[in-house]
Amino acid sequence: MNLDARKIERPHPSLLKYYAIVSVLTGPGFLVEFPRLFFKYETLKYRFEDDGMSMSWGVLFRHEINLTYRRIQDIHLSRNIIQRWFGLATLAVQTAAGSASPEMKIEGILESEKLRDYLYTKMRGAREVNENPHDEALTLLREIRDLIRQKSQG
Amino acid sequence: MSRRVEDAIEEATAWVYRGIWSVLTGWFRVPAEPPSLPVGPAGDGEHVRSFRPAEGFLRYLKFKFWIALVIIDAAILAGWFFLFLIVPIVALWLAPVAFAFAVLPDVVAYVAIHLRYDTTWYVFSDRSLRIRNGIWVIHETTITFENIQNVSVNSGPIERFFGISNVTVDTAGGGQPGKKSDSGKSVMNYHQGVIEGIDNVNEIRALVLNRVRQSRSAGLGDEALSAAGWSAAHIALLREIRDGLLDR
Repeated sequence: MNLDARKIERPHPSLLKYYAIVSVLTGPGFLVEFPRLFFKYETLKYRFEDDGMSMSWGVLFRHEINLTYRRIQDIHLSRNIIQRWFGLATLAVQTAAGSASPEMKIEGILESEKLRDYLYTKMRGAREVNENPHDEALTLLREIRDLIRQKSQG
Repeated sequence: MSRRVEDAIEEATAWVYRGIWSVLTGWFRVPAEPPSLPVGPAGDGEHVRSFRPAEGFLRYLKFKFWIALVIIDAAILAGWFFLFLIVPIVALWLAPVAFAFAVLPDVVAYVAIHLRYDTTWYVFSDRSLRIRNGIWVIHETTITFENIQNVSVNSGPIERFFGISNVTVDTAGGGQPGKKSDSGKSVMNYHQGVIEGIDNVNEIRALVLNRVRQSRSAGLGDEALSAAGWSAAHIALLREIRDGLLDR
């Protein structure tokens, strides 16, 4: 669990090799598929923050996806044979939006299992919420208590 | 005598299977150990348990396999026999090919069934579940109980005969299972976790449902609120305030 997700910004270079193999496997589709995947790799950027993450890619058609960790419904980690050889994986993150395909597919991360567990610990229900830091009532009551203490001392 | 032959075949099959398994784990990087789940800090009392589908699931898969094998091999045999009646010479030449067609897929399917069984894992912690399955594409699904919307249990007549059922947990969000994607491949339903072929359904259902009932949120990303709006921390603070006022 010693992965600093905030340092992840770019996919690992072996993702480009994986993309090359995938596009070769499409046969004649290589001419279309390889430039598309190449530019996707070249422009792919990740940003992991304390409460959410985003990814963006694209040259002509730009895509950007943002989501917060608390809204994650389920996490899927899948690895096919080629990906396993490179140590890569596809990390699919789902929110409660009404589509069958995942909202975000994180590719090209070597520490995918650690990243998955990092996201899992940020997910709702993974940790018991004993005290909500944004609970205004509790803060207010604390202030009242402190005021009364000051008054009784002064 | 026949018993000894059967034992020898069983042993040979197991030996071949172990070989395939070691090739898979070595060359194809299939993890041999069950998946794990991160747990809370030590002393939390949170424990993780992982298990495979029940033995009955393996027998059920094999049963289905034998049914399919009998039908397909009967069709191949009938076709070959028909050919034998018309042009016997061609049929005799084709006999090895027909034999190969009848036997080879069976061996492959038999190995695939065992591999499917051996690569399926279910991991349960107190807060979440993780399902791993697949050989070529290894797929791991992680769902927290907090996000589960409903739990359904299904079993067919043959599955009941083998004493197994399937438990399906759904999370929020739509999508039709088996919908075709743009590339024409069938997409799995991502808002779902299927726990296939287990024999302790009541235990698993109770485990999941209890957790879902305890959750006070709708499982859509909203914060869990305490029932009366006051938690133990609030009450303790109010006591302190009262005591403070009394002291004055």
